[in-house]
Amino acid sequence: MDTTTPARLSVRHLTKSFGQMVANQDISLDILAGELHCLLGENGAGKSTLSSCLYGLYQPDEGEIRIDGAPVDLNSPGDAIRAGIGMVHQHFVLVPTFTVLENIAVGTGSGLSLDRRSALRRIAVICEEYDIPLAPDRLAGDLSVGEQQWVEIVKALYTGARLLILDEPTAVLTPDESRKLFAVIRRLIDDGISVMLISHKMTEVMQSDRVSVLRKGRLVATVKTAEVTRDKLTAMMIGGQPPSAARAQRDTVGSGQVLSVRDLTLSRDGRPALGEVSFDLAAGEILGIAGVSGNGQDDIFECLAGLTTPDSGSIAIEGKALLHASPAEMAGRGVGYVPSDRFRDGLVSDLTIAENLTLGQQWSSRWRKGPLLDRTALDTNAETAIADYAIAAPGPSARCGKLSGGNAQKVILAREFAKARRILLCNQPTRGLDVGAVGFVHRELQRKRDEGCAILLASEELDDLFQLADRIMVMFRGRVMATLDTQAATYEQVGHLMAGQEKQAAAA
Amino acid sequence: MSAITLAAWRLERRREQRPGARFVGLAVALAGALILCSLLFVAAGASPLHAFSALLKGSFGSLRATGETLVKATPLIFTGLAACVAFRARIWNIGAEGQVFAGAMCAFWIQHNLAGFPAAVQLPVIVIASIVGGALYAGIAAVLKTRFSVDEVISTVMLNYIIVYVLSLLLLNGPWSEAGGFFEQTARIDKSAWLPVLLSGTRLHAGFLLALAAAVLVQILLSRTPLGYEIKAAGSNLRALEVQGTNVRRVILVVLLVSGALAGLAGITEVYGVHHRLKAGAIMGYGYTGIIVAILGQLHPAGIVVAAILFGALVNGGTLMQIETGVPSALIYAIEAILLLFFLGGWSACNFRLRRVRHA
Repeated sequence: MDTTTPARLSVRHLTKSFGQMVANQDISLDILAGELHCLLGENGAGKSTLSSCLYGLYQPDEGEIRIDGAPVDLNSPGDAIRAGIGMVHQHFVLVPTFTVLENIAVGTGSGLSLDRRSALRRIAVICEEYDIPLAPDRLAGDLSVGEQQWVEIVKALYTGARLLILDEPTAVLTPDESRKLFAVIRRLIDDGISVMLISHKMTEVMQSDRVSVLRKGRLVATVKTAEVTRDKLTAMMIGGQPPSAARAQRDTVGSGQVLSVRDLTLSRDGRPALGEVSFDLAAGEILGIAGVSGNGQDDIFECLAGLTTPDSGSIAIEGKALLHASPAEMAGRGVGYVPSDRFRDGLVSDLTIAENLTLGQQWSSRWRKGPLLDRTALDTNAETAIADYAIAAPGPSARCGKLSGGNAQKVILAREFAKARRILLCNQPTRGLDVGAVGFVHRELQRKRDEGCAILLASEELDDLFQLADRIMVMFRGRVMATLDTQAATYEQVGHLMAGQEKQAAAA
Repeated sequence: MSAITLAAWRLERRREQRPGARFVGLAVALAGALILCSLLFVAAGASPLHAFSALLKGSFGSLRATGETLVKATPLIFTGLAACVAFRARIWNIGAEGQVFAGAMCAFWIQHNLAGFPAAVQLPVIVIASIVGGALYAGIAAVLKTRFSVDEVISTVMLNYIIVYVLSLLLLNGPWSEAGGFFEQTARIDKSAWLPVLLSGTRLHAGFLLALAAAVLVQILLSRTPLGYEIKAAGSNLRALEVQGTNVRRVILVVLLVSGALAGLAGITEVYGVHHRLKAGAIMGYGYTGIIVAILGQLHPAGIVVAAILFGALVNGGTLMQIETGVPSALIYAIEAILLLFFLGGWSACNFRLRRVRHA
């Protein structure tokens, strides 16, 4: 360890358990001043628990946390902020009807009234110093997800954070915005601020100074990034060899259009959400949708799943028009739908795995014995799914609300894959999943495609699309910018199109 | 997640509830409620011991007293179950009160045209009519909610007021009023339509068995049927149920119909089992008390039966308590409220724990 730089934060023998489950066991690590320190680990490895302990959301059962050498007792986020720790969560907590200035400054002052002028001055200083683009007078509700993240970061700096915890900050950003974020992080580090980055993305991890790898609640090791390779880190993280991520080449794309969408147009709350979106999808084909979150992807999926009726346009499955179909009719036509927000749209947390696997099919004679639910049939089905999809759960009667993101997603995949006889709609199927689970989703999608299913796949991870999709359709502000052949497309080209820059894309 | 720290102790939210902690919490809540009730008795000028013993004697002291306690519990079981079915689905049916009236009125409307028919005809008819009446009245709120997005809390409360006055209209010099009578009530119902008494020497009638059967059926409905599955899903995440292709409007409609049907049954147990005439006083208040019973019973049918019998015992024992100790029986309502508040507090407290803070 570098002994010349002092430790901003020291964690010693931190243990935190929830009931029988030990989430963090005997973790000791140091985060140095002016260091970009990456926390790497699969879902359920204990990253969130550790960061929550550092931000005062959880209290460790044992162990000690020291800031600049002095022991601290973090009983609430307030304590953490006073100790100079700031955290940007994956889900932002801005008040949409407040301006950027109000969101940053409210609740931070000592008095009751807000001194706008001095707050404005301090925000301007921060933005200028770290080259952060922010307009303090805009309403938070009008900001893009990327801009909201800037607000969160400035807010943390405004409260005097000397250690900034970023929880998967690039999950919601375009490649360009991500590059910008890392430029800002560099400036922060140069200024002596420590940054703890939680990420699964190897390209980002490799930019850090040091990496601490967690596996199953324990610290595997803290290493200097310059001294390790990506493969080494992946192996440390999953405790074995990484799954092959090579794009599986195929000779045949199935024939016959299964899904045909023409001029789909939709407005929401008076604003255009979709503008004349048209595409075709063939059996055995994966059509990728690239785009920054909120550029119409969700709307396409909701129209196709029967949740929203478009204002105009047509949707046809195997030549049969289906514009006003209900979700049940769509499911009846062999359409499976993996929604982007799995705990809001995909699962009922209070139901068991067995019940969630049959969600929407509770009246089907397959799951009933006369008027009663057939528990045996439900459980048998669930046991098969748990085995086939390697769902880490105690059994069919485990509640889905207790599952990790990856395992919850596997429950949804098991259900929707069974439903998708013709078409599989997948919106952000790998969001928030660790490397192992992403590889699993990729393999399953390929298997489903090889069975002849037509797959529509939207992902903010370009890796997903480049590895899986036959064609990539790029969305920007509800319109299709271009549809590219994956073989011929480049990351840069897609990145420019995602930002609405056609000229740069053509040049790339 | 917040935590309050007091010296070396910290109050934390529990991640998992332990049954042991739950039992302790409830025991403490019961003890607290008893102490506060004792203070009320003292304030009313009676010895708590004397008051409680009178209460116990009045509710379970004899076969007759026990029978009467169960009679008082019967309508509360029905309205408690009505609240249970709706609340589990997070549909806030506050209209059991009106649905009790609707069930009683629908039954009376059909039955009083059946004079001369044997009991074997009249009894099934009043049971079915009360189910239909309660369900249809709840159905109004259901249609308002599913078609026009009217909040069911508002609509059901308003419907409660309407039906009370409709009954009043029918009874006060209306078509149902007793010939030559002074009161707002119907004439005495013919004995052929009375719910049969189960135990001679008591007023315990067949409605009590009907209520127990309903509790068993509701338990099966909730735990074993597709509708129960939908109720559970709707109570947790209605949106996901909809995304997966379930018609959630139908779920809301059916849940309110079932809830209303259960409340409707409470109407006939009082009219045909106890008072033997239709009057507002016979059926008033059970809908609202049923909500308290359902919550005390933790929205569980078995718990609701126990809570209803407890409330029946309080109301029944209260009379003897007043006679023997002079404590006004109206104090019973205060006791009911104290029980509810202490139990709710006890349950919340179970979600937390006190932990000694260790510094490493």
